[in-house]
Amino acid sequence: MDFFTDTSNIFLCAVSAAALDLCVLVLILIAYNEKKHAQQYWNRISCCMELSAPDVSYPLNCDEILIGRHASADIRLPDLSVSRYHAILTVSDGIWTITDIGSKSGVFVNGTLVTERILRENDVINLGNKRLIFRRRRNNNVH
Amino acid sequence: MYINTFLYIISCIFVLLSHSAMLLNIYFNGNAESTAKVIILSVAVLGLDFVYFIIMLMFKQRSYAIDFLLILILNMSVIFQSCFGGVHLSVKHYITCIASLAACKAGYIICKNHKWLQVQKKYIYLAIGILIVVILTLTGSRSMWINIGSISIQPSEFIKPLFVLACATSVAEQQKKRKVLCFYVVYENFALYGLTAVICLLQWWCRDLGSLPTFVGIFVCGFFLRICYPKAKFSKKTLITAGVILLIVALIALRFAPDYVQERLHTDIWSDKTGNGYQQSHALIAIADGGWFGKGAGYGDLHNVFAYENDIVFATISEEWGLLFALMVMLAILIMLAVPLINPPRSYYHSTMSAGVCAYFIMQMSLNIFGSCNMIPFTGVTIPLISAGGSSMVTSGFMVGMLIAAQSPEFKRPAIRQQRNARRQTA
Repeated sequence: MDFFTDTSNIFLCAVSAAALDLCVLVLILIAYNEKKHAQQYWNRISCCMELSAPDVSYPLNCDEILIGRHASADIRLPDLSVSRYHAILTVSDGIWTITDIGSKSGVFVNGTLVTERILRENDVINLGNKRLIFRRRRNNNVH
Repeated sequence: MYINTFLYIISCIFVLLSHSAMLLNIYFNGNAESTAKVIILSVAVLGLDFVYFIIMLMFKQRSYAIDFLLILILNMSVIFQSCFGGVHLSVKHYITCIASLAACKAGYIICKNHKWLQVQKKYIYLAIGILIVVILTLTGSRSMWINIGSISIQPSEFIKPLFVLACATSVAEQQKKRKVLCFYVVYENFALYGLTAVICLLQWWCRDLGSLPTFVGIFVCGFFLRICYPKAKFSKKTLITAGVILLIVALIALRFAPDYVQERLHTDIWSDKTGNGYQQSHALIAIADGGWFGKGAGYGDLHNVFAYENDIVFATISEEWGLLFALMVMLAILIMLAVPLINPPRSYYHSTMSAGVCAYFIMQMSLNIFGSCNMIPFTGVTIPLISAGGSSMVTSGFMVGMLIAAQSPEFKRPAIRQQRNARRQTA
């Protein structure tokens, strides 16, 4: 009788453990699936925009993009005319804004010196000697 | 509404299946006086599952994986707590679980728009200040508890999520630098350092040194994410300096710790089984007694030991359900914390907030599990979402809500700033 009780206990415990394992596994797979929806939502928020230099494109993957010469900047522009932390790009309600964060050479949008400015498609941004174009994402040459 | 109906139904089925397997285990193998008690427990657990599945749909989220993991873990904790010392629904724990679910949704609503939250940061500091005043004035002499009739509240628990929010920061916030002498400083960082010092002194004064590592863990996480933002380019010099400072502070703290803490640090639990080593020795014996598959639900003996349902809950679960199952429940909690790794937050504020929540969960779990296994000194903190205790459950639920908020964020400017900017644009 003891043997029977012990065996049924082990069996039921193993079944519970297996059910829990399976459930957690399924939820992990669902989390991976939800990642696609999160990406779609982000594409809608960011309007699939990117910053493009002549030879390279920078996708805008988060809501605050730090641009500068420093190695820890999201978009690194290795040029002495660019400050270590030069400007920041932020998005709210699907609108991208560029803000000067105390740079020495300033931020120019379409040739106008700005401290904060809402960006529109195909705006040309000048940071020191570097020239970037704010445009819709293309799939080639992504940095 | 859930985007994919098929996946929603699959998730519901697997959560129900998991709880049903545990309930069947209790029905066939549990220490229940009557079948009615098992039926009441089953109705309560599965009923809460169904109600939460419906409530979930009322919130427009882009990710529900954490919600499903939360209800899975919470109802497992209801089953565990209802089996200690015989099967009967633990009504008190059931109510705290419902409160925890409500707190989770409140956490989601409050934290989903980080831009709004950043504007409210001064109120977060204010709320922590009010809680500190409440602790100093309303709790008993150098204690952390407020007793209202039969209910005991631990206000210091509510400081934890607020402290996580205070530690969270954005890239723009870290760029608001002011020149002081020849250094560029961020004033908000100094406010945080001051707040951390005040909280640590409060914990010291209230003799609640068990929670101190949790606060320090959250702060260390926030601190490193502030000095190494935004791409976590860790400078070796900074890391070594910060590590050495932390070590020195820890050594000084240990040197000047009160006598009862010093005693716990040097306790041999097996030669002091009736004194300082009472709970740990019984917990270790219970884990060994339970083995891999446990004695069976309700057949444990550890419910006779003080704080069996919170401080040494890992050992109590191991004894009745087996070490394998107890470890798997902990793994389920860790996987819930790892969801932000699968779907990384899109804002730095939500990333730092998620890191703070993970620091809170991991510190609490480590202190509880390793403490009851005698691998570190016994502290008496709870395992979030598993241990009994209203304040802890509500706090943990709120923290999970913060994780959900980071998965389903909103990117909207607060109304006032939007209007000001619109005016500036027109000008």
